[in-house]
Amino acid sequence: MKYKFTEDIVIGLEIHAQLNTHTKLFCGCPAHGDETPNTRTCPTCLGMPGSKPALNKTALRFAIKLALALGCEISSKLIFSRKSYFYPDMAKNYQISQYELPLGINGKLILNNGKEIGITRVHMEEDPASLVHPAGMGASSYVLVDYNRSGNPLCEIVTEPAMNSPEEAREFMKQLISVLKYLKIFDTDTCIIKADANVSIKQKEYKRVEIKNITGFKEIERALKYEVERQKNEEVANETRAWDADKGATFTLRKKETEEEYGYIIEPDLAVEEISKEMLEEAKKEMPELAHEKAMRFVEEHKIRKEDALIIAQEKELAELFEKAVKEINPALAVVWIRHELNRVLNYNKKTLEDVKLDEKEMLKLLRLVEKKIITDRVAQKILEQLAEKKIDVEKYVEENNLKAVSDAGAIEKYCKEAVEECKTAVEDYKKGNEKAFNSIVGAVMKKSRGAASPAEVQKILKEMMK
Amino acid sequence: MKSLHEINGEYNCFNTIQEYKEKTEGALKGVKISVKDCICVKGMESTAGSAILKGYRPLFNATAVQKLLDEGAVIIGKTAQDAFGFGSFSINTGKGFKQPLNPIDKTRVTGGSSGGSACITKLADFSHIALAESTGGSIACPASYCGVIGLTPTYGRVSRYGLIDYANSLDKIGVMAKTVIECAKALEIIAGKDKKDQTTADAPVEKYTSFPGKGVKGIRIGIIKESIQDGVDKDVKEKFLKTAEFLKSKGAIVEEVTLPVTFKHALPVYYIIAMSEASTNLAKYCGMRYGRDEKIEGSFNEYFAKVRSKCFDDETKRRIMLGTFARMSGFRDAYYIKSAKIRTLIINEYKNLFKKYDVLISPSMPNTAPKTEEVKKLTPIQNYMMDILTVGPNLAGLPHISVPVGAGLPTGFMIIADHFDEGIMLQVAYEI
Repeated sequence: MKYKFTEDIVIGLEIHAQLNTHTKLFCGCPAHGDETPNTRTCPTCLGMPGSKPALNKTALRFAIKLALALGCEISSKLIFSRKSYFYPDMAKNYQISQYELPLGINGKLILNNGKEIGITRVHMEEDPASLVHPAGMGASSYVLVDYNRSGNPLCEIVTEPAMNSPEEAREFMKQLISVLKYLKIFDTDTCIIKADANVSIKQKEYKRVEIKNITGFKEIERALKYEVERQKNEEVANETRAWDADKGATFTLRKKETEEEYGYIIEPDLAVEEISKEMLEEAKKEMPELAHEKAMRFVEEHKIRKEDALIIAQEKELAELFEKAVKEINPALAVVWIRHELNRVLNYNKKTLEDVKLDEKEMLKLLRLVEKKIITDRVAQKILEQLAEKKIDVEKYVEENNLKAVSDAGAIEKYCKEAVEECKTAVEDYKKGNEKAFNSIVGAVMKKSRGAASPAEVQKILKEMMK
Repeated sequence: MKSLHEINGEYNCFNTIQEYKEKTEGALKGVKISVKDCICVKGMESTAGSAILKGYRPLFNATAVQKLLDEGAVIIGKTAQDAFGFGSFSINTGKGFKQPLNPIDKTRVTGGSSGGSACITKLADFSHIALAESTGGSIACPASYCGVIGLTPTYGRVSRYGLIDYANSLDKIGVMAKTVIECAKALEIIAGKDKKDQTTADAPVEKYTSFPGKGVKGIRIGIIKESIQDGVDKDVKEKFLKTAEFLKSKGAIVEEVTLPVTFKHALPVYYIIAMSEASTNLAKYCGMRYGRDEKIEGSFNEYFAKVRSKCFDDETKRRIMLGTFARMSGFRDAYYIKSAKIRTLIINEYKNLFKKYDVLISPSMPNTAPKTEEVKKLTPIQNYMMDILTVGPNLAGLPHISVPVGAGLPTGFMIIADHFDEGIMLQVAYEI
């Protein structure tokens, strides 16, 4: 065995990410678009006799960028291989992939806790067709094949077995998606990303189990958590399992007595291509600043905490928003609102920044209002909740709903007086030493001011009043 | 004048007789083209001679076919062959296909795998060019046995787009005709870079028709010594040496050369590479998308196995099994990978000779067309041994042309040139 494991849990991932090219890897068919089955096809992606593959150069450029971003050594030659196995989703019963000489080897990806996860290889391959089980998997007496996906460009990223918890695997996936998005070679709406995970635990002498086809970073954590628990409590065999996201469980696909036999040969229809220094230089020039570098720069330039910087930088959209915000407002305030408050709203709605299509301009306006103390934090939170749901003009909204912070001490005093008169019981309780009662009086004042009064100011005045 | 149907009734040279043209004017106006069955013609059944592709009508023309059509040529049909090109005699025809017969003596084989192409080329009493294909000798061999000219260009000279693959790193579309000039003219039209086949070369296409007639004075010719040793028919050897003498008399410099690595290793290396690639190419034939199908029963594995068992002939099954074995882990280093390395040595051996010689010569086949009855008695190994003279240039991707020489049963005189040096090869061929 190549590795000597000591950790309780050992996880390695093989991730397939679809590259966001217009056309497929070896033909001119659109890689996305019309979903009517078998409409985005041609003789090549249907595997018709006489057809030949022709490499999509954009896909190659995208894959080179990914390999570079993951710090891989790039092969000087591009060689494809045929991976042979019979399956109804395969147009040719072999898949054009890479074997002996992958595009990139020996890379790494750094997790937020500083741990480096080694990347064994990055290679290109074509996606098979999709199988449609009309009555659900297992229950259908027949299967339909849709070749729209056949030939879509994929990058396979294989990690070292270097992750030691489902959370680390989740974070790896998240970081990888972040890299793909920064490189603009992946589109979360239209591109597929899925992982096969190898999991083994010390308790069962690292008997290796492979889990196929896990989609998305949240699922990977769920699937691995389930699997680790299962391995602790059950007999473990060398096998391939699948993840059923609906049932939240893995199940046996096949036992592995021997390694799969793919009979690789060099793909003779594609001439071996040189990956020239010029090509690499060009790709390097197009490389954007990636999350980790960006985070380090945020720390350096804006003196924010590394932990905050890493989280903001990891999501391209957050990072871009942050960069715009710090041009106008205090970085510390920007961190509070972009890292914490915005995330709170998104988490509450179970959405990502991309889902909500947040209006950046309005968001920045909101932050300006907060910084200038024109509105209170509380009002700003409420407006942010609105902003995450619909399009609003922040300034107009503040104006129309009379939400400007009441800095006028006279007005606040008036609200306080009214509140003290109205909440007689609470005032009594407070005077008896009940702090909770005080909060309810503050709440009443805030309600009167529609949140526009500064809570600190209100507390000060109330305490004075009720002495 | 016999109709094509009458000729076919007698010689079985066509799998399909059907006329198709797209233009009425052009450099090939009035020229009829027969197309080997493994080369796609839009809408015309293209089976590569195998029952499993019965009913396959391609949606597109092969690039070579398209280029001929663009010059006003008329396609007349698809010619008979060993299924997928798996044979040297055209007796390994697919289930339900007839064996083409030698146009000079019907009891003899045409040679293969482009047997139908050579047969109709010999019999045509009209202006005709055959579009054929060679992987390990499938043009030179039948051209030699049937007494016509067969030209195989450099690998990558002519687009393979639309060719139903045998072994992609070896397959070459070429031509057969009665004259060297016709071959040169056809090559000039079909050669060139094609973005649909990434293995085609950028090298500019020369005006091949300008070479014939330039003579052979001062041309340096190497006689491949191993090609005229034991195992070559006396008659074949005599005719060959007489022709070599003739070229010398016309001013060529003729010397003996040797290719020890090639003659020791080319045959097994060729078969290992060809079968390895073939076994992957043939995986797609499983009764799902085109060609023959069967009643769907059982698992997909059972269904695929049923269609393939029923429709592939014995030689096809043999090559799939051998090819699959040669690329299995545990064996692939010893067979497939090793063969790829020796292939490079063989190419270098030829390249070294071309530093000193313009062309190399040998007989095309060690014998004249054998009788079908004799061939049927051969073991598979004896069968494969017949390719000893043709596998070398095919494995090295070198252009070669077979020209008939002498009277009686035809024998072929083969001229081999360096990569992309088809011009000088045609120049020498024209003098014979």
